Amino acid sequence: MALLEELKGLGSNVDEGLERFMGNAALYERMLRKLPDMIKKTDVAGAFADGELKEAEERAHALKGATGNLSVTPLYEGYTKVVDLLRAGQPDEAKAVYDGMTSVQEQVIACIERGE
Amino acid sequence: MTILIVDDVEINRGLLTEIFKDEYNIIEASNGVEAVEVLNSGARISAMLLDLMMPELDGLGVLREMNRNGMIKSIPVFLITAANSNEMLMEGYNLGAVDIISKPFTPHFLRSRINRVIELYRHRNELESIVAEQVEKLNRMNQSVIETLATVIEFRDCESGEHVKRISGLTNLLLTQVSNTYPEYHLPKAEIEKIALASVLHDVGKIAIPDGILNKPGRLTPEEFEIMKQHTVKGGEILQTIPEIMDAEIYEYSYDIARHHHERWDGRGYPDGLKGDETSIGAQVVAVADVYDALTSERVYKKAFDHDTAVRMIRGGECGTFNEKLLSAFAAVEDKIRRREWLD
Repeated sequence: MALLEELKGLGSNVDEGLERFMGNAALYERMLRKLPDMIKKTDVAGAFADGELKEAEERAHALKGATGNLSVTPLYEGYTKVVDLLRAGQPDEAKAVYDGMTSVQEQVIACIERGE
Repeated sequence: MTILIVDDVEINRGLLTEIFKDEYNIIEASNGVEAVEVLNSGARISAMLLDLMMPELDGLGVLREMNRNGMIKSIPVFLITAANSNEMLMEGYNLGAVDIISKPFTPHFLRSRINRVIELYRHRNELESIVAEQVEKLNRMNQSVIETLATVIEFRDCESGEHVKRISGLTNLLLTQVSNTYPEYHLPKAEIEKIALASVLHDVGKIAIPDGILNKPGRLTPEEFEIMKQHTVKGGEILQTIPEIMDAEIYEYSYDIARHHHERWDGRGYPDGLKGDETSIGAQVVAVADVYDALTSERVYKKAFDHDTAVRMIRGGECGTFNEKLLSAFAAVEDKIRRREWLD
């Protein structure tokens, strides 16, 4: 369970996540391992860079759902704010929140990819 | 029982599958197009968990398709969303979604809500099919009661029971032609069927006419004819006493036909002396059919005329005047009538 412990250290509510997966730790981990790939494919940074705000909102929205279900709390909270700000028509603030969460996101990705 | 899970994100599908796999069969679809394919495959789906934002075809698109093909009525759809409020959810509800599931999921609540709705729908679908079966049975009963009644009247009239069948068939044929040529009469097929069935009761009032008059071999005296004419009014009265044995619409039609199948276009018919389209098109058609059948059949007081003579007499106004449109419709299908094609 090294992976779950590490994620907990990064602020994830893994107990809640495990409960959501009906106590099935193997499945929980398997789904967690799909997250880095999803984050890379769901390119929010690229959408911001291209000024595609609608696209950025949809991508952030998809990641909000997935990270929420996985209880990767810091990312879930970050994407929730990004979506809310974009929806409220505050793209600069949204971008700032997004930039602020990239380092923890990279830590999460590294942690999952490194995990046994 | 099977749940269809539609979400483009594998993580979400995996989680939902885990939550429900012990109690249900699970089918997963990763976008709206796949979901519609599963629905169209004939798989029996007890509930659908539907993500709103998806590539290819989104959740609202799937709901629209289910509205188009009617599946929305029998399959409960739960919208999955990470949003808390927006027009999309409102539109989802308007398109018939039963409930909204927000991400992140809470398995316990999710299971209770979905199980409850599935149970409710299962129950409702079962009741609906029982009701449909009963209605079907009732309709058959209705029809057989009406036909039995008609046969009883015929028997008394020394007819074989074929007369009412011919009237009903001819009524159907003529109304169909009228409907095709004169849309102003608004005669959809279902109405034509009802009128044709109701036509078999047109002479129900003859039950109240004394034998001596009903089966008199010779010409009726003016007094006897006045009594004979009463079969229209009596027919209406008899039907008024038994409206609950038949469908409300068939009752309306049969009352109207029994009372008015001796009215004529110029107002010289009986009992009410209605003119032109004051008489319903159904009663007008039964009137022509009745005259044609009486002319071409042998009766206690006369021999049968052949088809051409009967048609000449109807056109010549020897049996009263009829609606020109109706006579054109008659002419248009005359060959079928001559060949008795409407009898199957």
